[in-house]
Amino acid sequence: MTRDAQIVEEAAAWIDRLNRPVVDAAVGPAFDAWMAAAPRHREVIAELQALWQSEALVEALGQSRLAPGVATAPSVITDRSGRLRRAAPRFAAAACAMLVAVMLIVPALLTSTYRTNAGRGRSVVLGDGSRVDMSGDTELRVQILPWKRSAELVRGEAFFDVRHERVRIFRVASGTTSVRVLGTAFNVDRQSPTRTAVVVYRGAVEVGVAGETELVLNTGYGARVVDGHVIAQRRIAGGVPDWKSGWFEASDVPLGVLIDKVQRYSARPILLHDRALQALPISGRFHVSDTERALQAVQAAYHVDIAYGPKTIAIRPAGEADDR
Amino acid sequence: MPAVLHQIENRAGDAPAEDWRAIAATLRRYVRARTSRADVVEDVVQETLSRLVHQGRVQKLLSVYALGFRIAANLLIDHHRRDSRYVAESGEETASLAPSPHRVLAGRQAVAILKEALAAMPPLRRDVLVRRRLHGQSCAAIAKELGLSAKAVEKHITRGLADLHKAMPGDTAAREAVR
Repeated sequence: MTRDAQIVEEAAAWIDRLNRPVVDAAVGPAFDAWMAAAPRHREVIAELQALWQSEALVEALGQSRLAPGVATAPSVITDRSGRLRRAAPRFAAAACAMLVAVMLIVPALLTSTYRTNAGRGRSVVLGDGSRVDMSGDTELRVQILPWKRSAELVRGEAFFDVRHERVRIFRVASGTTSVRVLGTAFNVDRQSPTRTAVVVYRGAVEVGVAGETELVLNTGYGARVVDGHVIAQRRIAGGVPDWKSGWFEASDVPLGVLIDKVQRYSARPILLHDRALQALPISGRFHVSDTERALQAVQAAYHVDIAYGPKTIAIRPAGEADDR
Repeated sequence: MPAVLHQIENRAGDAPAEDWRAIAATLRRYVRARTSRADVVEDVVQETLSRLVHQGRVQKLLSVYALGFRIAANLLIDHHRRDSRYVAESGEETASLAPSPHRVLAGRQAVAILKEALAAMPPLRRDVLVRRRLHGQSCAAIAKELGLSAKAVEKHITRGLADLHKAMPGDTAAREAVR
């Protein structure tokens, strides 16, 4: 092997080590020492790191995977031994059966669930590098598999910044509403079991209801899905959703939805049992992360009484409050 | 190539200036290989350097180079986003997801070359690369599924990466041109 070929192989070994999710602390200084040793080391590393991270490589690998006669599908049967390889055709059917089994069984095993309590948001980085900022009182189930990426918003609200991948689509389900993307940033707000709001901050997404594609949303647009009906909304958006700064902008939203949002930030349960009040349409900009301020704003604008108990906060129609 | 470091004042405890020159040259080479936009290259390199200097003053860095690559990669993503947002705001939302024609051309060539190099590899090596880079599997998982030792998986990755590097044009030529 020539000296230069040897440098390239050493460099490639470093690239592999550095691009692992967890890098040993001892690796860092050793890497810098190797880099400092020769200009050619630095050149090759720069080229290899760029190559390893390039979209071109991802695309080439994605296409080569589909090349005929190459068994690179994520199957369990592999060329572990020459005997197996020679008998490949006979095993193909079995491999397919195994693959189906893997596709059915593995997803159940690889689901991660993330939960936040009221009043406490959280940021998570998923296995594919995508980031999700979860609001309070939110539950999210995520599956990152070699062939697909999916998340289910069980309740609450989350902002997704999805890592672009040509091959694997990222899908978010919220009730019967689904959002389908390749790489973009968007917010999904599950306001109730039958009500979901979506806003796109970068790129474009497809919003579907019950498996049917309903519309494509581009940057700056939003949509509300209520009881299976999609209502498109133009939204002059900033770079991040309102909730991240603790605000919620309501236009003809049921009071119940607003109170759920206030609840995401409040450890004290907020009780709103009156059905007519729950459905009361409200509009305005509310500072939902500040429980008292938000409720005061509601009280000032609408005909309600708010009783602050030691453990709960109760909202009732005005005049009904004094049955103590 | 002289590195432009005028906005960073050297303090006691910082790495010596010649190290910064080497770091800057390495980052520049890396960023240039990842974007065809000359204006972005200098922006990203300068911003990365100033963040590295800042970080180095706050805490002891395990690896200046590793952190430098990571910062630069993130900045490149930011630049790319800003570009797509600009296109989106100018009313051509559908175009925002597609790269500029110039990059598509360069990209297509690169994809073709890489595909050829991948096709020329032993199938097992190609399989290991697909699993590692495309599916993000760990070396341990690949070793287990393919019935290989961890060492053998690493060997396949390093050999495979070296093969791909060899296939890419201009690395040596570009090196001469830069001098």
